[in-house]
Formats: sequence, structure tokens, C-alpha cells
Amino acid sequence: MKNVIETTNVTKVYGAKGIVSTALEHIDLTVREGEFVGIMGPSGSGKSTLLNLLATIDQSTSGDIRIDGTDILGMSEKQLSTFRREKIGFIFQDYNLLDTLTVKENIWLPLALSRTPIGEMERRVDEIADKFGIRGILDKYPTQLSGGQKQRTAASRAIIARPRLILADEPTGALDSKSATDLLDSLQGLNRQDKATILMVTHDAYAASYCTRVLFLKDGRLFTELVKGDATRQAFFKKVLDVLNVFGGGVNDVI
Amino acid sequence: MTLFSVARKNIAGNFKSYLLYLVSMVFSIVIYFTFVSLQYSTEIASAIQSSRGVQSIFLQASILLILFAAVFIWYSSSFFNRRRKKEIGLYSLLGVRKRTIGWMMFYENMIMGALALAVGIVIGALLSKLFTLMMLRLLDSAVEISFALSPAAIGNTVIVFAILIVVTSIRAYLLIYRFRLIELFQAEKQAESRPKGSPIVAILAVVVLAASYWLILQPIATSQQFSITLLVFMIGVISGTYLLFRFGAVRFLLVLAKNKASYYQGVRFVGAAQLLFRMAGHVRMLTVVSLLSAVTIIAVSIGASAYYEIEREAARTAPFSYAHLSKGDKLDAEIERVITADKEHPIIAKLDIPILGTTADASELAVVPSKFTVQDVPVKLMSAATFNAIADALGRDEQVRLTGLEAAIVQPLDTDHASDDYVGRSITLKQAGEDRNVTFGRFIDERVMNWSFPDLIVVVSEELYGEFARQSAPAIYKAYKVEDERSARATSEALLGLDAKEAELTVHYAEYRGILEAGGVNLFVLGFLGLVFMAATGSIIYFKQLTEAQSDSSRYAILRNIGVSRREISISIAMQSLFVFGLPLAVGILHSALFLQVLMNFNLIGKEATIPIVMSIAAYAIIYTGYYGLTVQSCRRIVEA
Repeated sequence: MKNVIETTNVTKVYGAKGIVSTALEHIDLTVREGEFVGIMGPSGSGKSTLLNLLATIDQSTSGDIRIDGTDILGMSEKQLSTFRREKIGFIFQDYNLLDTLTVKENIWLPLALSRTPIGEMERRVDEIADKFGIRGILDKYPTQLSGGQKQRTAASRAIIARPRLILADEPTGALDSKSATDLLDSLQGLNRQDKATILMVTHDAYAASYCTRVLFLKDGRLFTELVKGDATRQAFFKKVLDVLNVFGGGVNDVI
Repeated sequence: MTLFSVARKNIAGNFKSYLLYLVSMVFSIVIYFTFVSLQYSTEIASAIQSSRGVQSIFLQASILLILFAAVFIWYSSSFFNRRRKKEIGLYSLLGVRKRTIGWMMFYENMIMGALALAVGIVIGALLSKLFTLMMLRLLDSAVEISFALSPAAIGNTVIVFAILIVVTSIRAYLLIYRFRLIELFQAEKQAESRPKGSPIVAILAVVVLAASYWLILQPIATSQQFSITLLVFMIGVISGTYLLFRFGAVRFLLVLAKNKASYYQGVRFVGAAQLLFRMAGHVRMLTVVSLLSAVTIIAVSIGASAYYEIEREAARTAPFSYAHLSKGDKLDAEIERVITADKEHPIIAKLDIPILGTTADASELAVVPSKFTVQDVPVKLMSAATFNAIADALGRDEQVRLTGLEAAIVQPLDTDHASDDYVGRSITLKQAGEDRNVTFGRFIDERVMNWSFPDLIVVVSEELYGEFARQSAPAIYKAYKVEDERSARATSEALLGLDAKEAELTVHYAEYRGILEAGGVNLFVLGFLGLVFMAATGSIIYFKQLTEAQSDSSRYAILRNIGVSRREISISIAMQSLFVFGLPLAVGILHSALFLQVLMNFNLIGKEATIPIVMSIAAYAIIYTGYYGLTVQSCRRIVEA
């Protein structure tokens, strides 16, 4: 299988002259096509930074990042924009929905940007509406939605253009347990049926247990990783909790 | 630490955010002070002979400016206060008493006001010299300008703005009392929603506007009727424009959205949705801007067309450089000597114009001069040959050829008489022998000689003129055309100093100066007001767009994350601003064009005013476009930051 993500020796340093803080150090990461990878770690461990680098929203200080075989560091601003909307679907922690557009229009955004014919756009929303349970709210505005509905809308928008890679930043962070389970089921469905490659940052061991592999970050370095293999979700959940206990201070973050 | 010093530190610390408010205050003070300085300027007073009329123009304009300053300062202070609600809320949350916060806000506003007043007067003093120069140039007058400040102007400005500043300071004091704490923290979240555009109301708006213009074009009998018509017209235009934006513009955007196949291509629909979302909040601003634009264009056009007409009007009033009635050889010779002595203005043409005075029965004419009985109106007879000689001397191509009882008429000065009022009609010229009934075949709208009442100049054939000339001797007018007549000041004064009351002496230079002064002052005052209104409208949109760019920047960040390129966002901003700028400009120009047409219909501005009107509109559009460019540039910077 092909590698969707390949990073070698990626380092990210914030700040300039004098006050410098290192967010990521020497990250080597490979994600294969069809994997559902979770990234965990305490606050400040560099999870979101890594995700932003992969989403091309942020630039690394040094190292190599290849997504779907393309080196993203040498791209121009224009190429990056095109890359972002064609190859990547991003589910943001704070939804990133435009409050001036209806749910349907928000979901349509990536398709409209790549100038998809309207018939095709209608068809795809129709397809996705039931999968994410948003048919009833298509004509509503984001301000009229609950957190779960917003998160599902954001997820729908991330996958509508059938990107090679879906990046999710704490997608269940703001959800009640029922909504969280629904969303995770949807993501798992995408991964299993549509062979979508998913990379998800999360605090939540329960959410991580849906993944096929979980990476643990600490102080900007890859700490360890867990592979689910043939284990059940419950068994994998326990293993994740065990690793989190090793973090010590990280226990608080689990809850 | 005293409250006063906290207020002072606040201003020093957040100077950048205070700057915008300060600049708008300084701006209105500069404008007002500049204008008042001109009003009290001795240089200008000395350049204008008819200073009482001019003083009243200035006074009315300065009242208008006070109104403007009040509205503008009020507007910018509420803009400023809105941005500070959260900060005030924080003080309150930290346990500062409302009274203390109120006083702090009061002091702040007072300090800023005093600062603005000082800066404004200094800048205004410099600017007023510049404007004095410009105005004297318009008046074609060479006066040395001193750099003295007028104490009366400073006093006037300080009093007016001290009142305004105290009022806004009291308003700032009361801000904390007007809201509950929770509301202060919600300051930025104002409910906006997508409006619906009713097509029926949009059509109604057009109907209201059309009816208003139809109404004002109706003939008006009494002045009382006129003020009622004008009031109804204003209400109609304001409400029609409001409804047009409120429903018409929304409708336009919704219609765009109807064609889904093209609407949902690229980032365009995001911009359209944003505009739609904002429309309810925009309508009032769009209405104000379009009407202010119209007022500005109309004011400048009136001034410009009057100024543009000066030379023509002078040429109509006094077609020759000098002209007088021959009253004996001695006076004639003396006048000629003075004119010939002026070597800088050599004579181009010298002409004797014989005119026969008689009376006529003008009962067939549509219009006759008042004060005379229709059967006995004095007319001036001129032979066709004389007319042609005058046309030659004045460098015109127009020639007449008349035989028998054919005649031509010269348009009486300052009337709206047209060809239809004369051509085909006849009058009966009276003489000792047989009366002659002549028929007008031509109407001449260029002047041939100086005005005297009643102004009926009838051009007749050689034979007929000869017949009348045998009965009585003609009066001889002596006319001179000299080079560069508009600068012949010394000769003009010398001639006017002669004892020549009987000779009906007309001097082109004197007529020209009189018209120029009135026209120059009008153009200046109207142009100045136009500039102020222009700046005001531009600033209103500018500030509004900037505030919106600030609250939109998070939306653009989202779009960037999804994969919209910087260029696409730039274009989107430019398109949205184009809508907000272009719509009121188009409506404003339309209003001004229609209203100027109304003025033309009532002969309040000349028919030849098209060129100055087009130039005024073009000048306005160019400056306005500059504002547009500036706004787009600033919005881009805010969004990209």
C-alpha cells in the first residue's frame, strides 16, 4: 500500500531571537493508505502543531513532509491552496463554519471552489446527508445548530470532495457522549467502506480506541505507538489507558 | 493615581485605537475652522465688493457645516464607544464603581477633544491660507496674503466645538449606565440575519421615485405650493431610495442566487452571502451615502456651471468691449482717445451701429415686455447690413438676408423665449406714413448689442430700413472690440470715470468682473461644501468597511484553511466593496442627473451646463474611486494580518 503521509526529521520552533520554544522535534511519521491513526498526548505536546503542519496551514522549521507523494514544503501559496482543497479534508476543533452560509452551502464550499457542476454537488450532499444525519438541518444556519450538529456539518464538509486524507483536530472535544459516538461511527464507516485515510488528534481515550493505530506525543517527540491489530475496541481502549498512565501528569487529560 | 491620570494613561497606551476617533474629530474641526477663517478673512472681503450678499452665503454654509460636524462627531464617537464596551465591562467586573468609570470616560473624551481642537486649529490655519489663495485665484484677484490668525475665527470654532465635545463627553459618561454588565461583553455580537427582498416593494420604490420626479416637474404657481411640492419630493426621494436599497438590492442578490449553476462556482457565493447577511445594517448607510453624493454633485455642478457660464454671460450682457450712444463729437472723441491710448488692448474692430427707435403693435406675439400696452411697444430697428457687420466684427458666422417685409428678431436678454414664440408671427411697425406689417422668419439667439429696456431688436430689410430712416434720424451707437478685453481694467476705470451718463456707456470688463465675483464665490462655497460632503461620505463607507473587515477576518481565515487562495480572497473583498461603493454612487449620480435636469427645465441653470455637469460628476466619481481603492487596500491588510 502507498504511503499517504511521510515526514522525516520534522522540527517546528516557535518564537524568534532569544525566547524560543520547540513544539516538535525530529518527527518521523509514516501513514499508509486506509489507516485510521490517532494522535494523543498531554496539552502542549505538539499534537495540534503536527496536524497543522500536515494540513499545510503552518510551516515546519526544518525537515521533509510528503503527502500523497508530493513535497509540500516547496509549494507556492497558490499551489498550496489548490492542494489543500483537493487533497485534504480538515475537521477543525472549533468547526470553522461560515455563519453567513447554510449548512448545505458550508458543505458545498470545497466543491464550489473546485467548480464542480451543480448537479454533482446536489448528488454528493444527498449521499452524505444520511451518513451524518444532517438531512433535517441542511437549510439551517450554523447559529441555529447544536455543537454536535456543527461538528457533523464540519465533518461532512471535510469529506465531500473525497480527499486523500482527512485530518481531524479534537473532533469530539465539544460533544456529548451520544454525539461523539455517532461521529466516531461515521468516521469509522468512512475509513472502512470508503478506504479514507484519517489522522485524528484527540484527548479522549474512547475516541482513540476507534483508531487502527495510536501515536503518543510528549514534549514534541514521538513517545510510543500502539497498534490495534485484531484486538477488540474494548481491549484496545484499555491498552490506550495504560499508556496514558505512564505519562503521569497526562492522566488528568484523559478525563 | 488619580482618575485623570488613568484616563491620560489609557489614551497614551492605546493610542492607535484612539487615533481613528481623534482623526475624525480633527478632520471636522479643520474643515470648520478653515471655512470660518475664510468668512472672517480681510483679504477676501477686500477682493469682493458686494460683501454683504457673500457674507450671508458664508453664514448659511457655516450653519450647514456645524450640522455636518455634529453628525460626524456623533457618528464617530458611537463607533468608538462600541469598540470599548468590553473594556468598560472589564473595569466593572474588576470592581470599579460605575461612577468612577463614567468620570474616566468623561475625562478621556475631554482630553481627546481638547487635543483635537488644538491640532485642528493649527492645521486649519495652514489650510485656510491655501484656500484663501485658491479663492482669490477664482476671483482673479492678486492680493498679498499674510499669515495672521483671525481671533474671531478661533473664538467661533472653540465655542462651537467645546459644546460638541462636552455633549459627547456626557454621552461617554453615561455609556456604563446604559447597559447591563452582560450586554457590555456581548457588544460585538449583534444579531444579523439574511433579509428577504420583496419584489413588490422594490417596484414600489421605483414608482415612488418616478412619482417624486414627475411631481417636481409640474408647473408651480405659488411659492407656498412650491415649498409643499419640494417637501413631498424630498420625502419621496428619501423613502424611495431607502426602499430601493432595502428591497431592490436584496432582491438583486437573491436573484443572483437563483441561478445555482453559476452562483455556486468559485468563492463568489460566499461574498454574496456575506453582503446579503449585512444588508439590513447597510441600508441606512447606502441611503445616506447615495443622497449625500447626489447633493454634492448637484452643489458642485451648480457652482461649476455658473462659473463656466461667466464668460458667455458677460458676452451676452456686453457683446462689445466698449459701446456707447453717440452724444456729440466731443464725448465720442474723448472716449475714443481713452480706448486708443491703451496699447495693451489694441482695437480689433470699431463700428457705428445705427438704430431706429419706433413703436409696434405686438398683439400677435406670444410674449410682450410688461409695462407696455400691446399695441404700442417700443422696438429697435436694425438693418440687415448692420447686423451682418456686427456679426463680422464679433467674429461670428451668422448672416441674415432679408427682403421686403421679412424680419428677424434677436432673443431678448435673460428670457427663455424660443424660436416658436416669434417665427411665423408678425408685428406691425408704426411710422408717420403707412404702417408696415412684418413677419419674423428667423430667431437669433446671439446678442448683438447692449441691453436697454424693452429689449426688442428687430432686424429688417434694407428697403424697409431706408423707408423708416427717411422719417427720422437713427441713434448711433459706437462699438469697439479690443484684444483681451477681460484684463482692460485701467481703461475701463478711466472710461467709467468720464461724465458719460447720457451715453449709456457699457464696459465689458466691469460686467465681467461683477459676474465673476458672484460666480467665483458661489463656486468656492459650493465646491468647499462638496469637498466636505465627499470626505464625509467616503469616510462613512471606509470606517464601516474596515469594521466589517475586522469582524470578517475570522471568516477569511476559515476560507484560507479550506483552500481558498489569497488572490481569490482579494478578489472577493474587491467585489464586495465594489457593491457597497458602486451601488450608492450609481444611484447618487442618477439622482443628481435627474435633479439637474429639473433645474434646467426651470431655467435655474443654463442649457449649456452639460459640460460642467459631466465634469463635476467625473471629478466626483474619480475621487470616490480613490476612496474605493484605499478601502480595498486597507481591508486586504486587515484580513491578511
